[in-house]
Amino acid sequence: MTQEPVVLDEIIHQPVRLRIMTMLASIPESDRMTYGFVQQSLGLTGGNLTTHLRKLENVDYLQMTKEFHNQKPRTWIQATTAGRQAFAEYFINLQKVLDWHPES
Amino acid sequence: MQSPNEISPENSWRSIHDTMDQSRSSMHLAGMSTILLMWGGIMALGYLGQLAILSLANDLAESSPWIFAPFWLVVVAIGIAASSVIGHRASKSRSDGVAARNAGLRVFAFWIAVVAAAFLIPVAAGMWNEDTASSIPGVAIGIIALGYTLFGIMHRPALAVVGMGIAAAYFIPDYFLGDIAAAVTAVLILAVVFGGAFWLQKSGVA
Repeated sequence: MTQEPVVLDEIIHQPVRLRIMTMLASIPESDRMTYGFVQQSLGLTGGNLTTHLRKLENVDYLQMTKEFHNQKPRTWIQATTAGRQAFAEYFINLQKVLDWHPES
Repeated sequence: MQSPNEISPENSWRSIHDTMDQSRSSMHLAGMSTILLMWGGIMALGYLGQLAILSLANDLAESSPWIFAPFWLVVVAIGIAASSVIGHRASKSRSDGVAARNAGLRVFAFWIAVVAAAFLIPVAAGMWNEDTASSIPGVAIGIIALGYTLFGIMHRPALAVVGMGIAAAYFIPDYFLGDIAAAVTAVLILAVVFGGAFWLQKSGVA
């Protein structure tokens, strides 16, 4: 019997985007994080983070909303339902890949 | 050789778990460096106040040594109220929703339990009397230092070091320096918490 090859979502399977999606998927669906918190947690420059956020936003894995708090802009980031599903599938597929090639 | 955009499945797996751990503990540390600085100030002022009572109202301190327990109760209550406000505001600037709220409540409950233990354990040990009341601050500081150490073990090692530093800042001068111990403790605790806050800020999210 042949097994179907496992394909990892190439949008998520990138070091920075994987960490962004992990952060967003680790909180409840209704929750969101600020841009500043994600940037500080991942230790990224603003330009680098924005580039990866845009890629994830373009495939509808997350949404960004800008709000004003004490007259200062604050950007909120939230995983979409599609993004959560994609991350869950990525996680399952990653387990399959690791089961086939157990190195750790 | 892997390019920066490539990641092996093993590293992906590790990255997911590391990021989840870091993200979770960062939520529990909202505002912690500011809270630490504030506690440093509050404890230093508390020890200076204790020194002032010993110097200006020595008769009162000798006839009613338990006076330091309610004094510290007030100081700590102010600290808890201020910590809650700082933690809540810091949390709101990081995330919004159930996870942040639950993390905030867990941290609040942890510290309330620590502070309650700091006051209730001396009560249970029968220390609230004229003979042993002067030892209550030492027990309370020991329990609070233990709180920092346990919280640090769970979330950030820097806080565990702060806990041990607070204990050393109290017990070493108290054992060796007699009357000036409170002033030395105030200075040492300030140094410990400023160092801890700097370490936390340098290490990233706090």
